Amino acid sequence: MDLENQKRVKALAEQYGPENIIVILGAAEGEAAGLAAETVTAGDPTFAGPLAGVQLGLKVYHACEPEIKEEVDGDVYDEQISMMELVLDVDDIRKEMETIREAHCKY
Amino acid sequence: MYSVLKGAGYILAHVPDMVIHNGTTQTTQRAMDPDSEYLRNLGQSLRTYEESRAYLPNQTYIGNVTPEELAGYAQPWHEQASRFQEREGRFGEIMPEDEFIGLIAICDVFDLVKLEAQFAASVKQKLEAHKLIDSSQLSVFEKGDDLAGIQQLIAEEHAEALYYQGQAVGCIKAAHDIDQSLSAHVIFENLVSKASCVLSILHLIDKNNINKEDIEYVIECSEEACGDMNQRGGGNFAKAAAEIAGLTNATGSDIRGFCAGPTHALVQAASLVKAGTFKHVIVAAGGSTAKLGMNGKDHVRKGLPVLEDCVGGFAVLISENDGISPEINLDIVGRHTVGTGSSPQNVISSLTAKALEKAGLKLTDIDKYSVEMQNPDITKPAGAGNVPEANYKMIAALAAMRGDIEKSQIAEFVREHGMVGWAPTQGHIPSGVPYLGFARADMMEKKISRAMFVGKGSLFLGRMTNLFDGISFVLQQNSSQGREETGELENRKPIVITAMGSEHGEEIIYEAARNAARKGISVKVIGSTPVTEKNLETVAAASEEDGRKKMEEMLESGAAYGAVTMHYPFPIGVSTVGRVITPAAGKQMYLATTTGTSSTNRVGGMVKNAIYGIVTAKASGVMNPTVGILNVDGARQTEIALQKLKQNGYDMTFAVSGRADGGSVMRGNDLLTAAADVMVMDSLTGNVLVKVFSAYTTGGGYESVGYGYGPGVCENFNKLVLIISRASGIPLVTGALEFAKELIDGNYQKVMADEFAKAKKAGLDDILKGLKQSKSAAAPPEVKVPPKEVVTEEILGIEIMDLEEAVACLWAVGIYAESGMGCTGPVVLVAEVKLAKAKEILTEKKYIGQE
Repeated sequence: MDLENQKRVKALAEQYGPENIIVILGAAEGEAAGLAAETVTAGDPTFAGPLAGVQLGLKVYHACEPEIKEEVDGDVYDEQISMMELVLDVDDIRKEMETIREAHCKY
Repeated sequence: MYSVLKGAGYILAHVPDMVIHNGTTQTTQRAMDPDSEYLRNLGQSLRTYEESRAYLPNQTYIGNVTPEELAGYAQPWHEQASRFQEREGRFGEIMPEDEFIGLIAICDVFDLVKLEAQFAASVKQKLEAHKLIDSSQLSVFEKGDDLAGIQQLIAEEHAEALYYQGQAVGCIKAAHDIDQSLSAHVIFENLVSKASCVLSILHLIDKNNINKEDIEYVIECSEEACGDMNQRGGGNFAKAAAEIAGLTNATGSDIRGFCAGPTHALVQAASLVKAGTFKHVIVAAGGSTAKLGMNGKDHVRKGLPVLEDCVGGFAVLISENDGISPEINLDIVGRHTVGTGSSPQNVISSLTAKALEKAGLKLTDIDKYSVEMQNPDITKPAGAGNVPEANYKMIAALAAMRGDIEKSQIAEFVREHGMVGWAPTQGHIPSGVPYLGFARADMMEKKISRAMFVGKGSLFLGRMTNLFDGISFVLQQNSSQGREETGELENRKPIVITAMGSEHGEEIIYEAARNAARKGISVKVIGSTPVTEKNLETVAAASEEDGRKKMEEMLESGAAYGAVTMHYPFPIGVSTVGRVITPAAGKQMYLATTTGTSSTNRVGGMVKNAIYGIVTAKASGVMNPTVGILNVDGARQTEIALQKLKQNGYDMTFAVSGRADGGSVMRGNDLLTAAADVMVMDSLTGNVLVKVFSAYTTGGGYESVGYGYGPGVCENFNKLVLIISRASGIPLVTGALEFAKELIDGNYQKVMADEFAKAKKAGLDDILKGLKQSKSAAAPPEVKVPPKEVVTEEILGIEIMDLEEAVACLWAVGIYAESGMGCTGPVVLVAEVKLAKAKEILTEKKYIGQE
């Protein structure tokens, strides 16, 4: 995950409390989504940024996952995201995300 | 008139040392963790010049491999052995690092680049051999510096070192001790951008036969900024590069748009030329050192070489319409606007569907989209996926959502309208523009009609706006719209005609050519008499056969746009659509067809003839031709097949017989009144009719009325060749030349492609398959084809139904042969040395009679 984004996630978690944060990702495929999810839960796996070694354990979802889809107004979701459901390998992304959440999510 | 894409140039500079010392992934790592394992081992993962030069995507970038060919190799391409060793390609070159450092020194006009003396001498020698570098530019290497002095500048005056093969060979000084905008780092990056831009321009000019003096304006569109602290982005890399490239009549300016810069620049360049402000504008950009090895850590971690080891550049020329080069259709420009929003749907739609819609086009009407063409070898291991593919999937998904295709057809859409990526990840470099060179070639060969170039930019990176950005345009085959606005263009599409073989003498042809020339048609006559008059050129030929060879050469090379001749060995499948004038009211009628064989199935042939007739009529100006089927054997079956085609959605209008019982099957009376614009029949009947209609006023021997036997038509037969009888008289030959011109101006090949596409969409292939099989010979047994030979001799006298068997029987004894169509019937073609033996065998097997 981009260093600047790591910095912001860390700052927001400190400001509002990690149990009050959900991170929503928009990665294009499973591996990238998994890496970002791991960064905000178990810490930056590349040890490059502010979240290196920091285990925030935040709740994290990809925008195409049903938990997020259900929360969003149907028309808005259609307009903003539905096209990408035809483009992305949503199942692959879902699998990655579930694996990370299971292992590292604290909330 | 739309402006045209006149040429393209692409270059790469292989700079492995700059990966280590100037790529920001590496410089950032050095700042944070200078002892990191990555940096220590990086050198081992960098490729040699030979390896990078041979790398298939790099060879594609400079034009030695086409995108289609690249797609044929299994990915990842860095694992493929490559037989491509050329430094130069169709579009440019891959330059080695030492010469590129030399080019940087040439581009430095402020004495900021210092090169060690021995290195300078060695580079000077190499660049002396470079055909695009002028010797006057080599004076910069005369005084080299000593290494100690260079190292002092680096250590004490913040100069940026220049490395080659791990050794410091020079440095680039800061242009100012305090001004950060003129730091050595900035000057380094800017000189690299300038040098790669210059090299791109030099190759554009060299590879496309351009005169430097013709260039009036240069637009540069990289992502660098040059200026000083008081005007940090003052700019004009364009002028700086134009100066080194020797474009003395040009000025220029820079356009910035992040990765969408090039597409923005192209829209503006095309508009400047279309408006008549300038006649020739170059759009160019060099590359970036910052992006070198950007994904190096991922590549090294996965055991790959560092693939981002080249700086890229491109240059294209936009010129006024020349009647042949592909046009930039400025009526189809997609824009991502302030109000578009950032959802992928809206972004893609604004750049594709919305713009196409306004022109009445669907997403499927674009043959190829050129999007962000990053090489997937680079992006996939770094977790960024396959960028072009993702873009194509989005366009396909949009097409599915709009109902242009089914969801199940998304993968097919990607294959049909997309390409693999091949460009280096140099920001603006892969964005749309890499395909321009290939697109131009494909359109001039009429392989594709339309391509859409889509550029997108991540503006938020500059922190001035959160908005995304993009702009797109369509490139299309030249539609010869020029002819309406300037008469000059008419003369640029010559028609070649062969004079030898006329039964009334060659003079007939010359006189007809003069008549045509008087009407503004450019004619080249191949004959034995030299003539030079306005618009009339002679090409001397020694014999009729020599004449035919010259005619063929002119068609192949594009020196002639069409040909009129008395004999042509059309391949099977091609038949000619004649055009006559009928007596009842002087109305013209197309006879589909008059020579040739469209198919070995009689009814199938007549169905195809109908389509050929429609194509010819439309291309010569009859927008909605009526179609009637002459009442010969097979007429009813043909009518049924055509009706089915129409029911399936193929747009055509049936004629109505003038006889009391109406119907679309035509009688002899209808021939005299031209009750149908296109009269469909088998070509033997058509051949009889065209002669009768051409000569009935003169008593038979001198054909004086009409336009001749017409063009040979068949799907994918893209040459324009019209046939006239050897008994043709002056008015008829003149008519044939006019006919040819109308077909050229009417963009005959495009009309043909469009019409066949429509007919196939309505199920033409299935309808043809479903026809009753005529009595056909048993399929020839599987025979191995002997090695191909050049076949120049024709053996006549074979029945059409036996033709393929006859060819196979020659193959079976090792004689290479091809089937074809001669003047009087089917022929078998063999090489001269095999002629006697072939005739012997065919006679023995009773395919031909005794001589």
